[in-house]
Amino acid sequence: MRTLYILCALSLAVYGETKFADFPVHAVASYAIKAEEAGLAIGLQPVEDLKDQKTYFDMELTPKGFIPVFIVIENQSKEESFLFDKSTVTYGPADSGTATPQVPSKLRDNGALATVASLAPGTEFIVMAKINHASHIQGNILKRELQSRTLSPAASTHGFLYIPAPKHGPREKIRIRVPFTRTGTQESVPLVLDLVF
Amino acid sequence: MSQIRLTLLASLLVFSTLVMAQEQTSSPIPPETKPADIQQAADTKPAMDVKPTTDVKPTPDVKPAEGKLPFKAALVLTPEFCATKVKPKGSAMTKEWGTFDIGKSACEELEPALKGVFVNLTRVAAVPSPEDAQLVLLPRIVDVNATTASIAFSNREMVVIVEWTVKDTSGKTVWIETVQGSAKHHMGNLFTFKKNQHLIVTDSMKAAAVESASKMSGSVELRKLAQ
Repeated sequence: MRTLYILCALSLAVYGETKFADFPVHAVASYAIKAEEAGLAIGLQPVEDLKDQKTYFDMELTPKGFIPVFIVIENQSKEESFLFDKSTVTYGPADSGTATPQVPSKLRDNGALATVASLAPGTEFIVMAKINHASHIQGNILKRELQSRTLSPAASTHGFLYIPAPKHGPREKIRIRVPFTRTGTQESVPLVLDLVF
Repeated sequence: MSQIRLTLLASLLVFSTLVMAQEQTSSPIPPETKPADIQQAADTKPAMDVKPTTDVKPTPDVKPAEGKLPFKAALVLTPEFCATKVKPKGSAMTKEWGTFDIGKSACEELEPALKGVFVNLTRVAAVPSPEDAQLVLLPRIVDVNATTASIAFSNREMVVIVEWTVKDTSGKTVWIETVQGSAKHHMGNLFTFKKNQHLIVTDSMKAAAVESASKMSGSVELRKLAQ
């Protein structure tokens, strides 16, 4: 009985310390979907495979209505710096209006993760473990999100954007527009990529 | 007999939980505090041959600072920013009690951390006029996440994400950066939970402040502006 208690306590502690696999990062040139302009290069990869989503997020995001899209940005210029402001990134059907990608808090508020805890049947220990695990998943989604930053010469950045997508049925071609601003002249440099899920 | 043994074991478990959580709260040992793993790699070219299972460790993009930045900078900490409270996320079942006083902690930690970055740093409650500052530093709390733990002595982690916008006298944005600060503490029991919640907020913001100072100090763009 004592052993059982100790095992339960240990398993809960270990469950809460789950490590998530790192998503592989490649040079922009190796991505199938990419764009280049004014010394900036951007490549992206939608993570549609549910097994991959499970590997890197420990949950399937597509059934919750989101596709994680991994983005790599490189400043290939030797002299110029560019500002990347995440809040200016827009997406939408290739031939109509645009919207901004979902941030993790919106993803959470959407109830996408609330169901994780409610799936748990049985004992209190299992329920608590599921709850803990859900908060770790939320933390992982937040940590992996692409964030605003200044791209100095030869610098790069990467991270995920979470694009809402229909849970079932065919999807439209999505156009993602990523604007950058030159630090010197404040000139805007938009990069546009078309994405078919 | 077995019932007595069971009761004794359960009592022992509860007692040890209480004691360990109490120890954590009053421990003089510094908590495990660090700037969170920065997911965004910088000043590095992603390698072409990285295998999917490779544990990619980005190299830090902060270059060693060469003295203080020669600017009269204004750190804008508005009353609204300092009053920012973040409610723990989750459904009714998963939500943590209380609120995270992130703004209060940010307003205590950011100014001391950035003092060493600029020759002159002034804390202001509103955006100053151009003659009052050469650089205006605007922080924004992007998001906060705290994991939960089911037993009092389990470690849980908080991550705070702060976005910085730096503007010059003409109002032009010259630098943007996002930093993560994280800290780990025990969840605590019924009696120590509130104190531990305060500790984890303070320590994660402290880590974010240190990371902010490091990034600003090492910024190529701000150094170039100084020339």
